[in-house]
Amino acid sequence: MERKIEARIQNRVGPMVAGPAGILQPLADLIKLLTKEDVEPREAKKLIFRYAPLAAFTIMVFAFCFIPIDGGSVLSFGSTVGGFNGDLLIILAFATVANFLLFLAGWASCNPYGTIGSARVLTQFLGYDIPLFLLALTPAFFVGSLQIAEIAKAQATQFWPFIFLAPWAFVMFVITMQAELEKDPFDVPHSESELVGGLETEFTGAKLAFLHLTRDVQIVFGSALVVELFLGGPYGPVFFGPSWIWYTLWFVLKVLGVVLISEYITTVVARFRIDQVLSGNWRILLPAALLSLILTVVLVTWVYPLVM
Amino acid sequence: MAKKSRISPIFKRAASHLFTKPATEKYPFVKPHIPDDARCKTVYEIKSCNIIDIGSGFRDDLSIDVRSIVGTSCSVCVRDCPTGAIEIVEVEGRKRPQINLNKCIFCHQCVESCPRGAIKSSTFYELATTDKDCLIMKPNPKGKEEKS
Amino acid sequence: MSSSKIDILNVVASKLGSKVQIQPGQLGAGSIIVNNGLHRDVLKAMIDADEKTGITAITGLDLGENLGVYYHVHTSGAFVTIKTEVPKSNPKIQTIVDVHPGAAFHELEVSDLMGVIFEGNQPTGHLVLSEYWPSGVYPLRKDVDASQIKMLPPQEVNKPAEDPRQVKIIIGPQHPALLEPEKFSVTVDGETVTKVEPRIGYVHRGIEKATESRSYLQDVYLVERICGICNSIHAGAFVEAVEKIIKVDIPPRAKYLRVVALELNRLHSHLLTLGHAGLEIGYETLFQYFWRDREPIMDLIELTSGNRVYSSLMTIGGVRRDIRTEDIPKIKSVLETLRGQLPFYRKIYNDEPTLRLRMKDVGVLSRKDALDLSVVGPVARGSGVDIDVRKDEPYEAYADIPFKEIVYKDGDTWARMNVRMDEVEESINIIEYVVDHLPTGPIKINLPRSVPAGEAVNRVEAPRGELFYYVRANGTDKPERVKVRTPTFANLPSFLKTAIGESIADVPANFVSLDPCFSCTDR
Repeated sequence: MERKIEARIQNRVGPMVAGPAGILQPLADLIKLLTKEDVEPREAKKLIFRYAPLAAFTIMVFAFCFIPIDGGSVLSFGSTVGGFNGDLLIILAFATVANFLLFLAGWASCNPYGTIGSARVLTQFLGYDIPLFLLALTPAFFVGSLQIAEIAKAQATQFWPFIFLAPWAFVMFVITMQAELEKDPFDVPHSESELVGGLETEFTGAKLAFLHLTRDVQIVFGSALVVELFLGGPYGPVFFGPSWIWYTLWFVLKVLGVVLISEYITTVVARFRIDQVLSGNWRILLPAALLSLILTVVLVTWVYPLVM
Repeated sequence: MAKKSRISPIFKRAASHLFTKPATEKYPFVKPHIPDDARCKTVYEIKSCNIIDIGSGFRDDLSIDVRSIVGTSCSVCVRDCPTGAIEIVEVEGRKRPQINLNKCIFCHQCVESCPRGAIKSSTFYELATTDKDCLIMKPNPKGKEEKS
Repeated sequence: MSSSKIDILNVVASKLGSKVQIQPGQLGAGSIIVNNGLHRDVLKAMIDADEKTGITAITGLDLGENLGVYYHVHTSGAFVTIKTEVPKSNPKIQTIVDVHPGAAFHELEVSDLMGVIFEGNQPTGHLVLSEYWPSGVYPLRKDVDASQIKMLPPQEVNKPAEDPRQVKIIIGPQHPALLEPEKFSVTVDGETVTKVEPRIGYVHRGIEKATESRSYLQDVYLVERICGICNSIHAGAFVEAVEKIIKVDIPPRAKYLRVVALELNRLHSHLLTLGHAGLEIGYETLFQYFWRDREPIMDLIELTSGNRVYSSLMTIGGVRRDIRTEDIPKIKSVLETLRGQLPFYRKIYNDEPTLRLRMKDVGVLSRKDALDLSVVGPVARGSGVDIDVRKDEPYEAYADIPFKEIVYKDGDTWARMNVRMDEVEESINIIEYVVDHLPTGPIKINLPRSVPAGEAVNRVEAPRGELFYYVRANGTDKPERVKVRTPTFANLPSFLKTAIGESIADVPANFVSLDPCFSCTDR
């Protein structure tokens, strides 16, 4: 979807051949990569170089399993409302670890482009993690719980979806998510014109396939998180039949909607320089996130109980 | 800041593109329209230099025009070709030009230089092939050109 | 616009008197023949008189026993040549780099290819030739023997930075930021660039030498292929130079048709650069939009000349094809559509915040540096230097056509891109004027294949700047020497200057604003 949207915005057709209307192109790329020869530089640190992409991918998928669709998630521990208290923080932590593993992977490749690229990845995602956490706490404050499933359910039952209640947080969260996912305007680590492949430079074949997979899972993960935290999760009108079909459908549609917004932002702007990325984070986004948190606390404690 | 009121037009334009038809021409499913005298989509019909050239040979679009006019080949095309793609070969006692499309840059200087107008251009452009010998337009005795 | 045309030949004559021999009308406005050593004084006199003096090219010639070294100098008034010779047995000549820094690259090239030793500008390595090239073999000399060329064994060529705290990053030869391969060793301190060492010559195909073994008619196609983007202009410059040697004037219709070909070339080249700039700063959408608007121009080029890229319209004596009258409405409608798109792009350049962040105040080249380094084209006009060969020394039909010269004063990347965008509009105006005012008449005159002995210089305005040709004929049908000085070759030293002190992340954006075309640079 991402590639088709980008192509259409750019007034061209994008991938056409793989799958209906080219949707399966990333899958085709993946299969192609898996069949290619795996080349390792002589000086790379073998253990990390070989297994970091796989490990990162695994952790991301693991984190994704915690995202509840229809109350239950893959790892819901048997309760009607899946997950456990605090799983919001856990999955954000997992995402950070996965990113860190990617950094290690680039660093282990011992290539100047790889090292600079992964150093930039590190500075970028560590920096933007802080506002991310802060902004993710905003819905948690409304609901009073750190459990994602509770937050999602609360948007359907108790409150309006948080995009309406805290729109500033939604906007900032999307922007921060762009930076976490390394998409334009924050895709410095991937900037081909500066750093060849960035941290992916030395990876080939199956390892590159897993790196790309990790990135794709990250995108879905990020979008799903936005949906859960701000857009009411999977809950939506149920028309007929079993509710879980509709919930899944709504979830997918909402995730696609977030992908659309995210891709739109990606396509429309240029790329920031690395120093602009960092200064934007520490000087603008972080204070704004703090302010947002304070504002949220104020609203939750005093204002909204009066209104509602 | 006054800048706030000037939003880049790209936001609107980009969104609108999601709903408009893409600008890509879907070649090879759709063949583009090409002007008739576009040079360089060419392969030659050599008529009056004692050689007839089919022109394509990969597809049978163009018909064979057989004529036999007595004359000598003057080698002006050989002299003027920038890459030396034209050579004179001897076929059945007569000297004929042979054009090597591997080397041809489709500049059509030969078309202009030939005093008899024997070399002409065509609009055939799909010249990709996997066999290099295919691209040497050899003269054939009896005036009929053959593509090997 | 050239404000005052200083009569530079008179200035030189008055200052140096009998030590020089002046031939007016030869090789530009005039030639100044000096003995070895006096060329510096002549140049100094010129620079003192006119601040816009700069070196266009330095031609090395093999004249048998001597090597000719011709300095081609452009001033605000006239274009003159300083001729001097050195014996082959002792080819030493004094450098002029202290008088005019922009001559550095030219001297290095002549010393690489011809073997002239410039005292005071000794290269540490080759500029144009490979690092493994054997010494003592100079390719452009007539008596060079191909069997002497035995490459040296492989050696370590990339040395680390001198200061151990700094890192040397090598951009190129293969790099996504560069369209074509060149190597730039960039020394960085943290994120700031401290030094740039270029090594060009990766795309060197020896075209100047190749022209000597082909006839003039074949050479028209050969020089066209020096560059894929500005191909018409190379051909146009070459045929004009040859026509100057033959001393013939081509029919007016041919001149106007040549202008159409040249301006269409400029249009598609500028649109290419504007799109490529978008790509460098990560703005792929802008890139796709510009190239989508470039496609109708390619179709127009195909309509008028038969091929989308190598139009091959020029021939010695005129043009090869005519424009049909029924095509003219189509040409006009395509140009109108393009003109309608320009306000959108202008607004993006003015309003888009990310673009301004990446392009404003990046790669600033001051006016003084621009004059010292003899930069040409949009790079110069973006820094406030108003040189444009179409205005300074009109060729073809440009004297009759009204158009504006675009100058911006900021000197940064943003200004240079804006210069190109405005030039797109001016080119549209020019083409529309030309097709409205096409004179009737023949499009070509037939000229004999051999060219009488003589020499001529020619300057044209390629999309990237001033393109210079020097052609020397010896009475046969093959030229004796063809020297090409391409605009990117003149603009590269400015990149070495503007990159210093900036962040390495700005290097791609800065670099692409030069509009580098390495096929041109290396020939």
